[in-house]
Amino acid sequence: MIRYIHLKILHMLCCCVLLAGCSPFIENNTIEEIAPVIFWSISQGQNDKIKINTVVPPMIQEKKQLLSMEVDLLKEGEKEFNLIYYRELKSGQLRMVLINEELARQGINSLINTFLTDPDIHQRLYLAIVKGDFEKYIENQIDKQENLDYFLYQMFKHYEEQGNMSIVNLHQFKNKLYSPVADPFLPVFKTTETDFIYEGTAFFSKDKLIASIKHMDEQIFQLIGHKYYLKNLTIPGLSVSLGQVRAHVKTELSQDLSTLSVIVNLNGRIEEYRGDKNILEPDNLEALNHEIELYLAEQTKGLLDNMQKWQVDPLEIGTLSLHPLKKPLSEQEWKESWDKMKITVGYDIYLEPLMNTKD
Amino acid sequence: MSVFSLYDQKESPFGGIYVIFLVNRLQMIYFFLIMPTYLVYPYMVWGILALGIVSHLNLLILSKWFSSDFAKKGYLGFVQLFGQGMVRIFACVGVFLILIKISVIMLGYVEVYHQFIFSSVNPNWLILFVFIVIFYITYQGMENTIRFVVIVFFFTFWAIGLFVPFLFPPIAALHDLYPLIPVEWSRDSWKGLLLIWSALSGPEYLILLATWLKPNNKMKRNLAIGNAVTVFEYLFLFIASLFYYSSNFLSLSKFPVPNMLQYLESPVFERVDILLLTLHWLLVIFVIAIFMLVIFRAKGIIMGKWGKNPTLFGLVLSFIVVMVFIVIMNEWFWKSEQNLLLELQIWLGALTYTVVPFLLYVAVRLKERVNK
Repeated sequence: MIRYIHLKILHMLCCCVLLAGCSPFIENNTIEEIAPVIFWSISQGQNDKIKINTVVPPMIQEKKQLLSMEVDLLKEGEKEFNLIYYRELKSGQLRMVLINEELARQGINSLINTFLTDPDIHQRLYLAIVKGDFEKYIENQIDKQENLDYFLYQMFKHYEEQGNMSIVNLHQFKNKLYSPVADPFLPVFKTTETDFIYEGTAFFSKDKLIASIKHMDEQIFQLIGHKYYLKNLTIPGLSVSLGQVRAHVKTELSQDLSTLSVIVNLNGRIEEYRGDKNILEPDNLEALNHEIELYLAEQTKGLLDNMQKWQVDPLEIGTLSLHPLKKPLSEQEWKESWDKMKITVGYDIYLEPLMNTKD
Repeated sequence: MSVFSLYDQKESPFGGIYVIFLVNRLQMIYFFLIMPTYLVYPYMVWGILALGIVSHLNLLILSKWFSSDFAKKGYLGFVQLFGQGMVRIFACVGVFLILIKISVIMLGYVEVYHQFIFSSVNPNWLILFVFIVIFYITYQGMENTIRFVVIVFFFTFWAIGLFVPFLFPPIAALHDLYPLIPVEWSRDSWKGLLLIWSALSGPEYLILLATWLKPNNKMKRNLAIGNAVTVFEYLFLFIASLFYYSSNFLSLSKFPVPNMLQYLESPVFERVDILLLTLHWLLVIFVIAIFMLVIFRAKGIIMGKWGKNPTLFGLVLSFIVVMVFIVIMNEWFWKSEQNLLLELQIWLGALTYTVVPFLLYVAVRLKERVNK
C-alpha cells in the first residue's frame, strides 16, 4: 500500500514537470524548415564592414538565389540572413569559406577563430582566397549552372588528395598559424564574370596575406613543399613539358641554422618537346636534362629567396630546427635565423625519354 | 509486497574477465577526454608510462588484500579489520568521495554533450534523463549491473581504433613529438603527473565489490592486464592528439579528444563524434549505477541498518537526493568555478588511489600478526 502511494507521488511529480510546459528543446531542426549553408564568401565591405555572401537553397529543386549582406560581425550576418530568407540558415554543412584577397591582407585571425570555436562547424572546412568580384561570378553563373555551390565543393574535394592545387582545410591552416616555426598558405582563385580559375598559392605571415605565387613558382611549390607530385610540369622557357613528376626533397639545415641545402630528386617522363634539339639522341637528351636541372634550381632558389624576403616559411623549414633533445626555438629566434640563412639548391633529374616516336 | 533486493548473490561470483573490464573501464572515464590539454608536452608520454608502472605496483598491493580472508566476507571483513565504528566513519568519507567523483564524471560528460551536440538544451534536463536510465540499471540489482560492464566494454573499447588514422601522415609528423626529454619543468608538469595518477584511479573501488568477484590467485594478473590496457589507451590517445594538434595548440583545446573525433570522416555517418559521445553515456551510466548501489548500501551502514532489506522508497529517495546534489553542484560550482571542482577530484582521486591499497595492506598485516 505504502509503495503504491509512493508511486503516485512520483507520478504526480512527473506530471507537474510536464504540465509546466518547460520543454528542454528550444532549437528546431526540422529538415523542411532549415537551409544548410555550403559556403560563405567574405569580402571587405564599406566603412570597415565585412560583406558576406551565400547561395540558397542547396540541393533542392527550387530556384537558387544569392544572398548578400554587409555586417560588422560574421555571426551577425548569419543572423541577418534569417530575416530575409524564409528558411533558417544553419552552418552545420558549411564546407567552404572563400575570403577576398583584400580582406586577407588585413588579417583573418578573427574569422578563423570564429570558425574554430563554433562546434557546428567541421574542421575539414576548406579555406581559399578569391581575387576579383566573386559576387558577380555567382550572379552570372547561377542560372547557367545547376548546383554551382556544390560543384565548387566537389572540385575542392577532388583536388585535395592530388597535387596540382594547394587545397587547405581549417585544421591544417590553424596548425600552421599557431606553430612558431611554420607559416600557413591558402589557394588563390581568380574570378571573372564567367570563370573561377585556380591561380596559385598565397603565403601568410601569421594571419596576414603577404604575397601570392603563380605559374612556375606555383609548380615548384607543389613539387617541393606541398604534395611532391605534379601530373604535368610545364616549362615554356625550355619548350618542354614533363609528366608524372615525383619529387623527393632532401632538406638539410646546418646546426647553427646558417645554411640550408635543398636537394631535389625528380622522376618523370618527357611528354612533349617543341624545341630545336633532337632529343632522341643521348647527347642532346643529356644536355636538355642539364638545362632543366639548372633552370629548376635557379627558379627554386628564386622562390626560396622570395620567401625569405617576405619573411614567410610555408615550407615548414623551421621544423627542421626541432630536435628530440633540445628546446624548440621561439618564433622570434626562428624568424631571425630564417632571415639570414644562406640557401643552396640542387636538382637531380631522371627523365624517361620520349617514346614511340621517330625523328 | 515482494521482497526487494539489490545485493543478492544468486550465481557464482564473476570471473577474471570481469575484473579486467571493470579495472579498465573504471580508469578510462572522463579524464581521458581532457587529459591531453593538461599534459601538453610530448615528454609526458614518459610520465604516462612511468605512472602506469607505479600504478601496477599499487595494484599489486591491492591484490594482497583481495587474497586475504577479509575480502571474501565483504562488509563483515571490514568490521573485523577496523571495528564497526570505524567502518561507519569510512562509509561517511566514502560517500563524500563518491559523490564528488560521480558529480565530476556526470557534469563533465554533460558539458561535453552540451557543447558538441545539444547546445540549446539546459544541462539539468540531461542530468534528469540520464538519472532515469541509471535508476533503471540500478533497479536490476548489483549482479546485473556488474554484468552490464561487458556490454559497456564492447560498445566503447573499439572506439580507440578510430584514432589510428591520426598516427599516419599527412596528419602525423614526427617533429610534433619533439622535444622528447623535459627541457623545462614547471608546476604545470607536476599537475599533469597528478592528473595521470588520478586518471588511473578507480580500481580501488573494487574492494567494495569484492564479494561479487571470484577470489583466486589470478586476481593479480587480471588487475595488471586491465591497468596495462588503460595505460596503452592513454598513451595512444595522447600521442594521437600530439600529432593532430601539435603541442603549440594542444593547451588551447578544451576537449581535445571529441574535437579530434569531429575531424574523422565516414561515408555513411558524417558526425562520428555524435555517435561516439552517445555511446560513451553507457559507460557513464554503468559507473554511476555501480556507485549509486554503493552509496545506497553505505547509507544503510551509516544508519546502522545493515542486513535489512532495502526499500524501493529508500532507493528512489537516495536517487533524488544525489540528483539534486549534482544539479546544485552544476549550478554553483561547475558553471562558475569548474576548475575548483575538477581540481578537487584530481586530488581526491590521486589520494584514494594511493591511500586505500596501502591502508588495507597495513591493516591486514597488523590483524594477521595480532591473530598469531
